Amino acid sequence: MLSAMLRNSAPQLSVYIVLAVAVLASCERRGGCTGANCGTIIDAAVAEPGTLLPPSSEDIVASDIDEQLFLKLADVGMSENTLGDEDFQPLLAQKWEWDGPLTLVFHLDPRARWHDGQPVTAADVEFTFNAYTDSAVASPFRPKLHRIASVTQRDSLTTVFRFRERYPEMFYDAVYHMRILPAHLLRPVPRDQWRTAQFGRQPVGDGPYRFVRWQSGQSIELVADSTFFFGRPGIRRLIWRFTPNLQVAVQQAIADQADIREQLVTPDNVDRVRAAKHLAVYTYVGNVYTYLSFNQRSPVDSTLPHPIFSDREVRRALVMAVDRASLLKSALGDLAKVPPGPTSELLSWIWDPDLRQLPYDTAQAGRILNARGWRDHDGDGVRDKDGQPLTFHILVPTSSVLRRQYARLLQEQYRGIGVHVEVDELEPTVVNQRVGTGKYDTAILSRSNDPSPSSGIAQSWTRAGFGGSNFGRYYNPEFERLVDRAVTATTRDRARPLWRAAIETLNADAPAVFLYALDNVAAIHKRVDNVQIRPDSWAALLWKWRIPPDRLIDRDRVEP
Amino acid sequence: MTGAAWLLRRLVASVAIIFAVVTFVFILIHLAPGKPCGRIGGGEYVDQIQCDRIIAQFGLDKSIPEQYWLYLVALAHGNLGYSFSLHRPVRDAIADTIPFTLQLAGAALALDFLLGLALGIYQAVRVNRLPDVVIGNVTLFIYSLPTFWLALLLLLIFGEKLRWFPVGGPNDPVLCPLVDSLYCAADRLWHLVLPAATLGMVGAAGTARFQRAAMLEVATQDFVRTARAKGVPEHRVVLQHQLRNALLSFITRFGLAFPFLLTGAVLIETIYAWPGMGRLAFDAILSRDYPLVTATALTASVVVVAGNLLADILLGIADPRLRVRADSDAHVLTA
Repeated sequence: MLSAMLRNSAPQLSVYIVLAVAVLASCERRGGCTGANCGTIIDAAVAEPGTLLPPSSEDIVASDIDEQLFLKLADVGMSENTLGDEDFQPLLAQKWEWDGPLTLVFHLDPRARWHDGQPVTAADVEFTFNAYTDSAVASPFRPKLHRIASVTQRDSLTTVFRFRERYPEMFYDAVYHMRILPAHLLRPVPRDQWRTAQFGRQPVGDGPYRFVRWQSGQSIELVADSTFFFGRPGIRRLIWRFTPNLQVAVQQAIADQADIREQLVTPDNVDRVRAAKHLAVYTYVGNVYTYLSFNQRSPVDSTLPHPIFSDREVRRALVMAVDRASLLKSALGDLAKVPPGPTSELLSWIWDPDLRQLPYDTAQAGRILNARGWRDHDGDGVRDKDGQPLTFHILVPTSSVLRRQYARLLQEQYRGIGVHVEVDELEPTVVNQRVGTGKYDTAILSRSNDPSPSSGIAQSWTRAGFGGSNFGRYYNPEFERLVDRAVTATTRDRARPLWRAAIETLNADAPAVFLYALDNVAAIHKRVDNVQIRPDSWAALLWKWRIPPDRLIDRDRVEP
Repeated sequence: MTGAAWLLRRLVASVAIIFAVVTFVFILIHLAPGKPCGRIGGGEYVDQIQCDRIIAQFGLDKSIPEQYWLYLVALAHGNLGYSFSLHRPVRDAIADTIPFTLQLAGAALALDFLLGLALGIYQAVRVNRLPDVVIGNVTLFIYSLPTFWLALLLLLIFGEKLRWFPVGGPNDPVLCPLVDSLYCAADRLWHLVLPAATLGMVGAAGTARFQRAAMLEVATQDFVRTARAKGVPEHRVVLQHQLRNALLSFITRFGLAFPFLLTGAVLIETIYAWPGMGRLAFDAILSRDYPLVTATALTASVVVVAGNLLADILLGIADPRLRVRADSDAHVLTA
C-alpha cells in the first residue's frame, strides 16, 4: 500500500515542495531606494580576515575592508609617489607643515568623527603610534615606523611627529602604515590582548563606511556613513562574501551573484569574464613579483655555504638556462610580464625592461657549468662534480596552481642542461616555515611591493632582511651601497639611476630567477560607474564609485 | 547483560574512543611541520621575531606534554581554548558552524537514504530488467565520481549556466544576511540544494547498491516464498517481509554514513562556500590552529561515535537476535 501510495504521490509531493520553495524564493523583498546614493556591491573574496583591527590585520581582504572603516592621516595619490609630501592626499589631516628638518606637524580635520559620534583627536594619533610600535601588539608594521622617534599632541587637533633622522620618505612613513585608532575604545584593552579583542570583529572606525555585521565564514557587511565629512559615499552598501575557491568566486561574478572579483589570476578566468555581458574587465598594475629563490646557505647548517648556490657563476648559469619569456607565454599568456629584477610594475618608475639582465643562453650556461667542474662524467644525463650530481629541490606551496606549474616547467628546462630537479609540493604553512628557517635549496616565492622601493627591495635583498624576508641570504656590499644612496635620494629623477644600478648589480649576481609579475585584472559589474583603482590598493577609492539611478538593479534597492 | 549495562559499557567505550582521538589529534597536529604564524599575521611570510613573539603569547613555546596537560585542564572546565587564526574563542567558532553542518548533513542524509532506499528497492523488484541495469550503471557512475568534481560540475551547470541555483554560500547576503523570516528560511533551503544534492547523490548511489543486494539476499528466503504462496499482495511482500528483514544493512550503513558525511563535507563546504565544520577544520589545519583543530576533531568524533551508538541501538531494536547474542556474550564473559 505504502509502495503504491509512494508510487502515486511521490512525484507530486516533490513537485509541491519544489514549487513552494520556488514561490517563497521568488517573493523577493524589494526596497525603495532609487536615488543617487543607492547601490549594493558584493565582492567575491577568496579569504576571510582573521581580524579587522588595523595593527594586526595584514592580510589583503582585511586591508581592503579597513580602507573603508579607518582613515589614515593622508594617503598616496594615483602617482604612487612616496618621496616628499607633494603627491599625498589629505584624509584625517586637513593640512601639515614641517617645523624644522625632523618635525612634522599635522592639523586634523575638525569635522572627522568616529562612528560612535566622538571626535577624532590628536590623542587618537598619539595613541595609535604608541600602539603600533608596542612590542606587545606585535604589529607587522612596527619595523616600518622605527625612524619615527615620537608622536605627541600639541592640542586636541594638532599632532607632532619627530623623526630620528632626515630622509626623503619621512612623510610616507608617517602616514602610510598607520590607520588611526579610537583611543577611547581601545585604551581599556590590554595591549597583549589586542589580537583577540572583540574590537577586531566589531570595529568602530572613522571612514566612509560603518561596520554592520560579520557572519563568520559567510560575509562582512558595511554601510555608508551618510555623515562622512568628505561627502556621502556613492555606494550605500558593501558586502564581502567569502568564497574560498577562486573558480567559484569567479563563477559568482559571472552568474551575477557578485559584483567584483578584484583579481582573476588566470587567463582562463579572464576569458570567461570577458564572455559575460554584464561584467567589465579592468586591468591595473600588479604589485607582486614571483621568483625562484636560490638559498646561498646550506639548508642543513645555515653557517655553511650552499654546495651549489653559493657559487655565483653556477647561479648565473642556472638563470641563463631558463627561458622566462616562453615559460610566461605558456603559463600566463598576456596576463603577466617578465620582471626585469626584484620589482613589480607598481614601481613603474623603476621598472624598465631595458635593465641589464642575464640572457637566455643554454650554450653559455653549459659552458659555465663545465668550467665550474659540473660535467656529466658518468653519462647518466645529469652533471656531477666530485661524485655529487647537480641536483636540487624546488619548494612550492600546494595552494598555488601557478607556482606548481612553473616548478614543472623549470624542472623540464633544467633537465635540458643536465640538471636534475625534484619538485617538493608542500602545504603553505610548511613552505613558510622551511623558507623562513632557511631549510630549502630553491623555492618559488612571491613578494608584494608597497609603493616604496625602500621597504620592499631593501628588506628582501639586503642584509637588513637576514632573518626576515631575505630568505636566500643574498649579500653584496656594492648593491647595499647603491640601495643606501637610492633611498636617500630626494627626487625620483635622482633615485631612478641609483635603483637601476642596484638592480643591475643584483641581476649580475643572480640570487634568483625573476619569473613573472602578474598584471591585476578585475571583473566589475558594468552598472558601476566612476571606477577608480589605485594600484597599491584597489579598494582605496571604493567610496568614490557609484551606480547611476538608471542602472540600479533589484539588489541595489534593498534597504540594509 | 541487560540493555542498560550494555548501553553503559558502550558509553564508557565511546568516551575512551573520543579521548583517544583528541589525544592523537593533539599530538599529531603539534608534531606536524609548519608553524601557526603565517595565518596569524595574515601575510605570506611572517618575520621570525614576530612569529616567536606570537608563539610565546599563545603558550606554544611550552613542551607538548605541558600544552596537552593545560589543554585537558581547560577542557575539563569546558574551555576549548582560543583560535589564534580566527581571533575568537573556539567554542564560538564551532557553535557558529554546527547549525550549518547539521543542515547540510541532515539534508544529505535524508536524500542519501530516501533516494538510496527507494532505488535499491525498485532495482530489487525489477532485478536484471532494464530499469535495474540502467539504475545500477548510473549509481555506479555517480559513486565513482570524485565528490569535488561532481560539485564543480553541478555548480557550472545549475549555477553558472542555467542559473537555477545560487553559486555557493548559505544565503543571499543582500536579502537574507540573517535567517529571520520565512522567506529567508526558504532562501537557505534554496542555497542548500546543490551542496546537499552533491553529498546526498553520492551517498544515495552507494545506499542503493547496498539495499539492492540486501533485498535480493532476503528475496530467496523461505518466509518470502511462503508469503507469496499464501497470496500476500506483492507490495506487502516487498515492504513488510523483504524490506523489514533487509533493513539491517541499511541501519549499519546509517552508522557508517556519519564519517562519510563529515569527511565529504570538508570538500563540499569549501567548494560551495558553506560555512560548516568541515571547512572550519580544513582552514584550521592549514593555519596550524592547534586548539581549533583539536576541537573540531573532538566534535567530529562525538558525532561519529554517537551515530554509531545510535546505529547499534537501532540494530538491537530491529533484530532481536543481536540482543540475544549480546546477552549470551555477557554470560560467557561473566562465567
